[in-house]
Amino acid sequence: MKPRKLIVNLCCAITYAFLIPSVFAQSDAQFAKANQEYADRNFKEAIDGYDQLVRSGQWSANLFYDLGNAYFRAGDFGHAILNYERALALDRHHPEADANLRIVRDEARALELTPTLAERYLKFANVNQFTIASAIALWVATFCIVALIFARRRSGAVIALSIVSLSIFAVAVFAIYQLDNGSNGRALAIVTGMNVQARVATADNANSVLALPPGSEIRVLSNRGDWIYAALPNNLRGWVPAKSAEAVRL
Amino acid sequence: MNGTRRGRTAWRALLVGTLGFFVVVCAFADSPSVTAVLSKSEAAVGETVQLQIRVTGGRSADAPEKIAVDGLQIYRTGTSQHFEMNNFNVTSSVIYDYAILPMKAGTFKIPPQTIRLGSNALHTPALTLNVTDSPGRSSSSRSNREAQPENANQLVFAELVVPKKVAFVGEMVPAEIRLGFDPHARPELIDGPEIAGQGFTAQKLQQSQHNLETINGKSYDVVTFKTAIAATRTGKFEIGPVKAKARVSVPRRQATPRSRSRSPFDLFNLDDPFSDPFFADPLGRLAERREVEMESEPATFEVKPLPPNAPPNFSGGVGTFAMTTEAKPKRVQVGDPITVTSTVSGRGNFDRVNAPALEDDHGWHKYPSSSKFKQDDEVGISGAKTFETVISPNEKKQALPPLVFSYFDPVKENYVTLRSDAMPITVEGGAGPAPAVIASQPGPAATVAASAKPSPKPQDILYQLTERPKVAQSFTPLYARPLFWTAQFVPLLALLGLIGWKATQARRENREAQRIAALRHEAAELMQKLRRNDSSPQEYFSQASRAVRVKTALARNIDPNAVDAETAATAFDLDENERTQLRRLFERSDELRYSGAHNGAETISPESRREVLDLLENLRT
Repeated sequence: MKPRKLIVNLCCAITYAFLIPSVFAQSDAQFAKANQEYADRNFKEAIDGYDQLVRSGQWSANLFYDLGNAYFRAGDFGHAILNYERALALDRHHPEADANLRIVRDEARALELTPTLAERYLKFANVNQFTIASAIALWVATFCIVALIFARRRSGAVIALSIVSLSIFAVAVFAIYQLDNGSNGRALAIVTGMNVQARVATADNANSVLALPPGSEIRVLSNRGDWIYAALPNNLRGWVPAKSAEAVRL
Repeated sequence: MNGTRRGRTAWRALLVGTLGFFVVVCAFADSPSVTAVLSKSEAAVGETVQLQIRVTGGRSADAPEKIAVDGLQIYRTGTSQHFEMNNFNVTSSVIYDYAILPMKAGTFKIPPQTIRLGSNALHTPALTLNVTDSPGRSSSSRSNREAQPENANQLVFAELVVPKKVAFVGEMVPAEIRLGFDPHARPELIDGPEIAGQGFTAQKLQQSQHNLETINGKSYDVVTFKTAIAATRTGKFEIGPVKAKARVSVPRRQATPRSRSRSPFDLFNLDDPFSDPFFADPLGRLAERREVEMESEPATFEVKPLPPNAPPNFSGGVGTFAMTTEAKPKRVQVGDPITVTSTVSGRGNFDRVNAPALEDDHGWHKYPSSSKFKQDDEVGISGAKTFETVISPNEKKQALPPLVFSYFDPVKENYVTLRSDAMPITVEGGAGPAPAVIASQPGPAATVAASAKPSPKPQDILYQLTERPKVAQSFTPLYARPLFWTAQFVPLLALLGLIGWKATQARRENREAQRIAALRHEAAELMQKLRRNDSSPQEYFSQASRAVRVKTALARNIDPNAVDAETAATAFDLDENERTQLRRLFERSDELRYSGAHNGAETISPESRREVLDLLENLRT
C-alpha cells in the first residue's frame, strides 16, 4: 500500500471513530425527547421523533416497540402492529412487543397468516441461528471428509460425524428457506390502510377476495405497478393496493 | 422387432399415464350439482322452448327421457358433455337438452326432476313457463313494421319483446330485442341497440341468436339480443323504445328513360341500353349506402310494490333461490378465523342478493364478506352467488349458528326465509387473546408473564422502554451480511492448512514406501542372479554381500551402505557359525573387490555357492 493511501485510510478511521459516539449521543437525545413527548401524551410528536430515528437507520427492537405504542395511542392499529412486528423481527423474544401485539391484534381484529407445518416445527430458532448452525455443520463435515480422504484407515466415528454434520447442514438450510419464505419471512407485510379489500384483479372495481382489517398479515408474492399480489389469511390470494401495506423487514 | 415392442410399451405407458392423469384430475373435481334453465320463460302455443339440465361434477348421470307436464310435451333432444380445465381444476358437466312444445295456454310448472348420479340423487329446481295464445311480440311493433313506408325503413325493423307485463319492484324480467335486416341490404349495425326509458335497470345486452326468418312473406336476417329488466319504482310505465342505427344498401331511385344521359355513340337517340349508369359504375350506381334509424314501439309494464313486513335481513332479493353453507375449519381456538362459504343459487336479481347472516351472532366477530357470481345464462338472471365470510369465535362454541337468507318469491307473492342447519364445530379456549397487562409506569419485563387461561379483554398496552442498545440492529439475515462470509475465511484457512499438512505427510510416507519397494526389488534381483551360475567370483561375492546389506537395511530400516557383517548378524540374530560364514563372505567380497579379480580361483565351487545361498535365505527376522 502506498504511504499516501495509508495516511488517508488512517485519517478516515480516526474520523469515523470520533464520529460514531457523537451520532449515538445525538440519537440517544432524540430517543429521550420522543419518549418525553409520549409521556406528555403528544403522540403525534412522539411518532415523528421515533420516525426520524428509524429513517436514520438507528434501528432497535425497543425503538420499534415504542413507535408501535405511540401509534396505538394515536389510534392507528395498522402501524402499531407493523412496528410491533418489526420489533419482534429484530428480537423475537421481545416480551413487551409480543404482549402488546396480542392486545392490538385483538382490538383491531387483524387477520393472521397461518404458518405451515414446517414453520411451526422450526420456530424454535430463527434464521440467524440456523445460519450459524448450518455454517458450523458444513465446516465440521468438510474437515471430517478431508480427514477421511487422507487417512490410511477410515474411522467409523469420523464417518458418522460427517454424516450427522451433513444432515444438520441440510436441515438448517431447509429451515432457513422455510422461515425466510414462510408466513413470517422476508415477504411479510402488514396492512396499514383502512377498509382495504384484496381483489381478484388489479382494479378498484374488481371482485373482492377478502376484506383486510388494519394490521392484517399478508405475504407479498409479486409487485405490479401500484398493486401487490399477496398470499392472504385463510389460504387466499389476491391483489392489494401497494400503498395499503408495508413490509415488516426494512 | 425390439423397436416395435419398445414402441408398444411406450404407447401403453402413455395411455396409462393419460388415464392416471384423468383419474387424479377427476378425483379432485368438485362435488356434483345440477341446474336447469329454460331458454325463455314465456312462449306462445306451438312455439318450442328449450330446457337445459346441466349436471356438473358427474359423468354417468341418469336423466329422464321425457318429463310429464299436462299441456306441455317435453322430450329429450340430446346430450352433450363438456370438460373445463382451469388451473388444473377440471370440471366435467353433462348437458341434457329438452324441447318443450306448449299445447295450450296457461302457466305451467315443470316439477323438480330427479337426476341419479351413482348413489346420489340430485334435484333440479322447479321452473315456471307462461304460455300465451298468440306470439308474445307486441302487436304495436308489428303493426309499426307493417306500416313502415316503402323506403329504406322497409329493409330493417326493431322489436322489443317483454313477455311479462306485470312484475314486482326489483324482479328481473327477461326481455328480447330483435333487429331485422333485409339480407340483400348488406346491413351493418353501427350504433346500439339501447332501451330508452326511466324507472328500470337493464342488464348488459347479449347477442344470442342470428336467424333467417320469413315475416309476411319476406326474408329477414334477425339478430336477437337478450337482457333482463328490473323496475326500480312502482306503477305503470313504458319501456323503450329500442333505438339502433344501421347502415344498409338502398336501391337508387329508378331514373326515367328520358332522364338518362345520352351516350355519345347514340347518335340518333335510340335509347341505347348501354347508356344505363350500371355500365359506368356497376357496383355504386345500383345501390347506395345509407344510415337508417331503427326504433321499436315501447312496451308497457306494470310494476307492483313488494308487500310490507319484510323480514329483517331482507336485502331486496326477488326471485327463486336455494342456499347451501359450509364452514372450514371445524376445530379452532378462540379467536381463530373460520371461513363460512354460503352459496345462493337460483333465478332472480343477484345484484341485490347479500350474504346470508348469522341468526345469532352473539360471541362471534364477523368480518366483511367477499362474493363472486357465476351465471348460468346469458343475462345473469340465473346462476349461483358464493359468499365467503370470515368469522371468529370470541368464546367456546360447539356449533356455528344457522345462516338465514330472505328473499321475495314473485310466484308465491310472499317473503321466503332460508335457514341453514347449525354446523357442529369445536372451539377450544386454549389461546387467550392477550397476556396479563398493565403498568403505565416503566418496570421490569418480568411483569409481562403471559396468562395461560383466557382472561378478560385487556384494557391497555404495556409501558414505553427507555433503553436502547449501543449498536444498531439490522433486519438483514446473517447469511446476507458480508461479515458472515468474511468470517468463513477462518475455517477455510484452517481447512487449507489441514489439507497442506496431510498432503505433505502423505508425500513423505510415499517416499519411504518407494525406498522400501526399491530395496525389496533389489534384494529379489540379487537373489535371482546369485542362483544363476554365470557370474565371476568377484561379481558373485559382491552381489552376495550387497544382498545381505539390502536385507539388513529392510529389516532395520537403515541405509544399506552403512551395514557391515556385525550389524547384519545382530539384525538377524545369527548363531556363531552363521556369524563366521557372514564375516567370511564380507571378507571375501572385500578381498576380491580391492585385491583384483585374478587373485584366486576363477570359478566358485557348487558347495561354496550352496553355502552362500543357504546363508542368505536364512536371513529372516
